[in-house]
Amino acid sequence: MKLTNINKSFGDNHVLQDISLDFPEHKTTVMVGPSGSGKSTILRSLNLLGMPDSGHYDFDDFHLDFSQKITNKQKLAVRRSTGMVFQDYNLFPNHTVLGNVIEGPTQVLKQPREQAIATAKDLLNKVGLSGYEKHYPNQLSGGQAQRVAIARALAMHPKYILLDEPTSALDPELEQEVLRVLLQLAHEKQSMVVVTHNMIFAQRVANKIIFVEHGQILYDGDPKEFFSPDNPNERIRKFIASMTMKNL
Amino acid sequence: MWEIVRESIPQLLSAGFKYTIPLAIISFAIGLVLALLSALTRLSQKSGAFLILKAIVRFYVWLFRSTPLLVQLFIVFFGLPYLKIKGILPHGVRMHPFTAGIITFSLNTGAYASETIRASISAVPVGQWEAASAIGMTRLQTIWRVILPQAFRIALPPLSNSFISLVKDTSLAASITIMEMFEVSQQIAAENYQPLLMYSLVAVIYALFTSVLSYLQGWLEHYFNHEVNAKKVNS
Repeated sequence: MKLTNINKSFGDNHVLQDISLDFPEHKTTVMVGPSGSGKSTILRSLNLLGMPDSGHYDFDDFHLDFSQKITNKQKLAVRRSTGMVFQDYNLFPNHTVLGNVIEGPTQVLKQPREQAIATAKDLLNKVGLSGYEKHYPNQLSGGQAQRVAIARALAMHPKYILLDEPTSALDPELEQEVLRVLLQLAHEKQSMVVVTHNMIFAQRVANKIIFVEHGQILYDGDPKEFFSPDNPNERIRKFIASMTMKNL
Repeated sequence: MWEIVRESIPQLLSAGFKYTIPLAIISFAIGLVLALLSALTRLSQKSGAFLILKAIVRFYVWLFRSTPLLVQLFIVFFGLPYLKIKGILPHGVRMHPFTAGIITFSLNTGAYASETIRASISAVPVGQWEAASAIGMTRLQTIWRVILPQAFRIALPPLSNSFISLVKDTSLAASITIMEMFEVSQQIAAENYQPLLMYSLVAVIYALFTSVLSYLQGWLEHYFNHEVNAKKVNS
């Protein structure tokens, strides 16, 4: 999965400035940076929820040029291979937990319902929510809702899972429930791209780290070097120190 | 007095079940379909030739919301027979009063309800559209499986209000000779010279009908909100 020379503006605000990034398979790539730096815009470009103004996107057999019109067929195909988990969960309130997880497989992948239910139950078990199948989203805590959202994304068997600040809306105790699931997925070599403000989690899970500020990539590489106290970039050292204090 | 009441009630109820209720139910059902299509057209982001369709829908909604229902009924029933076009409509558009009533009430309900449905769809959080898109659902699947069920729950109280209003508005059909409840009460009053009694009696029957509908509205709201009202069993 690779973005090349991506540009995106909202009015006069040039939020992504000619950035190029690649996201290795079976690894966890973590994007960090101050609020409004462009992390979520990059993430949304990866599953085409947000469309850059220019640049190229290579993913599997797709070679998309954002200066050309992206067809609905291309959008759907990319989205089916990239599961997205949102900060606010965005579960479907009119469906049960099980209904949320089987919605994609039955409606989009056209899987038989029995097969989708069996897979969904396995996934709910994996995220620690066995027995919650008949609950509605409003009956869940934030941590539980986010774990259902992760199960919903996994049910589509995506190549990559994209997580946009998955724990920002949670208090520390509920945050741990979600982080445990993500650590397990990372351990299973699930390809992930995570936007987070949690430096402790980032340090623990990242195989690759990207630091974004003012729509530019200030760091793209090894997490050890990034988190090292000897990191030559003073701005990054200050950012890590301030965010780590917040996380503690 | 009680004898008049006893003799009139069966005639009024018969007219109610034969004309008033069918007129309201059929018109509301057709109106809802029109309203849904109008709302989806107005919310569509498609451009090009679709903009013409959007303009037509906007004109339709404006026209039926800005003119009195009684005038609309008169235009359709008394006016359209004079719409004579050589070769196509040499005798104008003539129709049975009940058909004219259904057409007018449907179009009127459709215009009002389209605004209710449009507002309800807009009230569904944008995150729901994104979540559906993110799992690869098409726009049609998203609307049908995710957005409309949530929008329907929001629209249910105002739509129920519209239906209750429609039941009462069907009394205007008396003016185009439909033998609905109010028309029957007028005819009985003309025979027995008891207008106060007859119009009060028909008012009570309208009130009974709408009270039953209000009760049904409450039941429907409770039924469709069960997932929202479901109690938290843990936290």
